Amino acid sequence: MVRKTVYGVEYDFFDAQTDKWIKRLDKNNLIDTLKRMLTIRNFEIRAESAYQQGKVGGFFHAYMGQEAIQTAAVDAIGIRDNWWITTYRCHALAYLLGAHPNEMMAELYGKITGNALGRGGSMHLYADRLLGGFGIVGGHVPIATGAAFSLKYQKQNGVALCFLGDGAVAQGAVHESLNLASLWDLPCIYVIENNRWGMGTAVDRAICVQPIAQNLSKSYDIASYTFDGMDYFSCYNGFHHVHEEVKKIGRPVLVEAVTERFRGHSISDPGLYRSKQELAEAKSRDPIFLFGEKLKAYQIITQEHIDELGKQQKKLIMASIKFAEDSPHPDPITLEEGVFAP
Amino acid sequence: MSKPMQEVEMRDALRQAIDEEMERSKGVYLMGEEVAEYNGAYKVSKGLLEKWGPERVVDTPIAENGFAGLCIGAAMTGLRPIVEFMSFNFSFVAADQLISNACKIYYMSGGRFSVPIVFRGPNGAAAQVSCQHSHCVEAIYGNLPGFIVLFPSNPHDAKGLLKAAIRSNNPVIFLENELDYGMKMQIPTEEYLTPIGEAKMVREGKDITLVSYGRMLSHCMQAIDALAKRGIQVELIDLRTIKPLDLPTIAQSVRKTHFCVVVEEGHIFTGISAEVGFQIQEHCFDDLDAPIYRVCQRETPLPYARNMEIESQPNKDRIVSAVLRTLHLRS
Repeated sequence: MVRKTVYGVEYDFFDAQTDKWIKRLDKNNLIDTLKRMLTIRNFEIRAESAYQQGKVGGFFHAYMGQEAIQTAAVDAIGIRDNWWITTYRCHALAYLLGAHPNEMMAELYGKITGNALGRGGSMHLYADRLLGGFGIVGGHVPIATGAAFSLKYQKQNGVALCFLGDGAVAQGAVHESLNLASLWDLPCIYVIENNRWGMGTAVDRAICVQPIAQNLSKSYDIASYTFDGMDYFSCYNGFHHVHEEVKKIGRPVLVEAVTERFRGHSISDPGLYRSKQELAEAKSRDPIFLFGEKLKAYQIITQEHIDELGKQQKKLIMASIKFAEDSPHPDPITLEEGVFAP
Repeated sequence: MSKPMQEVEMRDALRQAIDEEMERSKGVYLMGEEVAEYNGAYKVSKGLLEKWGPERVVDTPIAENGFAGLCIGAAMTGLRPIVEFMSFNFSFVAADQLISNACKIYYMSGGRFSVPIVFRGPNGAAAQVSCQHSHCVEAIYGNLPGFIVLFPSNPHDAKGLLKAAIRSNNPVIFLENELDYGMKMQIPTEEYLTPIGEAKMVREGKDITLVSYGRMLSHCMQAIDALAKRGIQVELIDLRTIKPLDLPTIAQSVRKTHFCVVVEEGHIFTGISAEVGFQIQEHCFDDLDAPIYRVCQRETPLPYARNMEIESQPNKDRIVSAVLRTLHLRS
């Protein structure tokens, strides 16, 4: 445990054990992790500009600043056998769980080649093991609890991973879920990504206890852990540990990843409620930059190689823009199809 | 040779449907408040815990939003839950899960995840349970694309429709009524299914079409008997499935009788009868010899006082009067 104060709140962060993991993990896997984080960042930057050009509509919630958390979770826990659920801030997780940037960008463009046939948009992306992309704050937390119930009922290995924001903690659905999961010993990992803002309302104006997970877990008789969400290795080591624990005890665990949101709540939010200096300081802890620096320090990668990866990922995303632009719109004749399953 | 028959109450018919489908598929389970150890608030699930165990007949805390959502998640990941609401008025606590998740996920996910789930329980008024326990929910859930809405009026259809609902790959709102749980009927001993989406003509007549569903069927039958004494032959259609609406069966009858009254337990404003009546108007305008009349619940929360409760709801006299007025006859 490392005791650290962030924005006046004292957290007990789970150890990162960077040295151990850098030595244990395959060099190519670490480089691939960096590559995927760069893809996510590039995707959102390019999608944002497509939005500003009027090519993407609706709501658009960027994950920028939080990439280390879900990337580390998927790396440490693995996709197979597990169910994943997240909020409307779902670009990163969809990509990490196997959605191709082409289908994701096409979904944002509202094209028939989109991830959800152009029906869901930015907030509703899916993959084989990703149940969504959900648009109502906290409303997906019972769904995740049900996925864990389903795993247990069917005697399947695996866990359910549920990401939620600090703002969702005020919702009753979250508390009902934690009660049910603890009561029924469900293998669910709830991850509160605390980026300190529920839209424009600071967390200390919305949630009565800080730190959230350390306090809340006691009420539900479950274990809790706090990760430094800006540090990939803190998250990786943490998720690795939590996964092993849930598999062993078959009980839910509550995680809080303390992180930063580099953008407004959504693309239409100029973020006037926080100072430029505060945002600049947050960005100095960019998780992708910090991860790259660590890999460089351990001589896993050079700056030239990182720059090259950045260029490659930009190309991949530019190709996805082209794919989306070239794709046809859904045919209006199909409008009322697919409301009911066969 | 006639089929072997058994006499059952409505609650037995529902229990048989659940039991048979649990036998048929391991993924079917029942969850709700008091469904297991208490044997169900209305004894629909009596004995099921003993037979199937606590993994498949699951008591919940009083947390409708939590357990309804949990079951939607389970449905998305391979199970076929039956969720019992002790009263469908408690489904409002779970409204976010039903409205934003259950009925939308299949379409919203581009067909990736279906939600094979049944929400069932008593709907509408019972005996003086007052304002917060008496609302009819079918017009609310019927307004949401993605839901199938069923409301059987008798034990035979209840069993067959519930079995079909459990086998459906879509979210089903399955409505019952507390006052009907003791209704007795002869039903086949052998397995049968009642198809979703098919209304039934339960009484043939040439003078006027009466369209209704659920508990209102018994009021309609009383009205029909009273009208028969005056020489009026009423054709009665039981919707059974509210959505998708079986318009062809209704239209066929209206084209024959040229007059129509729609009877609904719920409120008149934006009710099911408004939808049914409007569709008849769209498709049978030239066949109608008079405007369609509606008999519905009056526009108040349902009051407690017995006489006021009766006055608020459709009853035999109000139906008789509506039929006579539609036929331009004096009562």
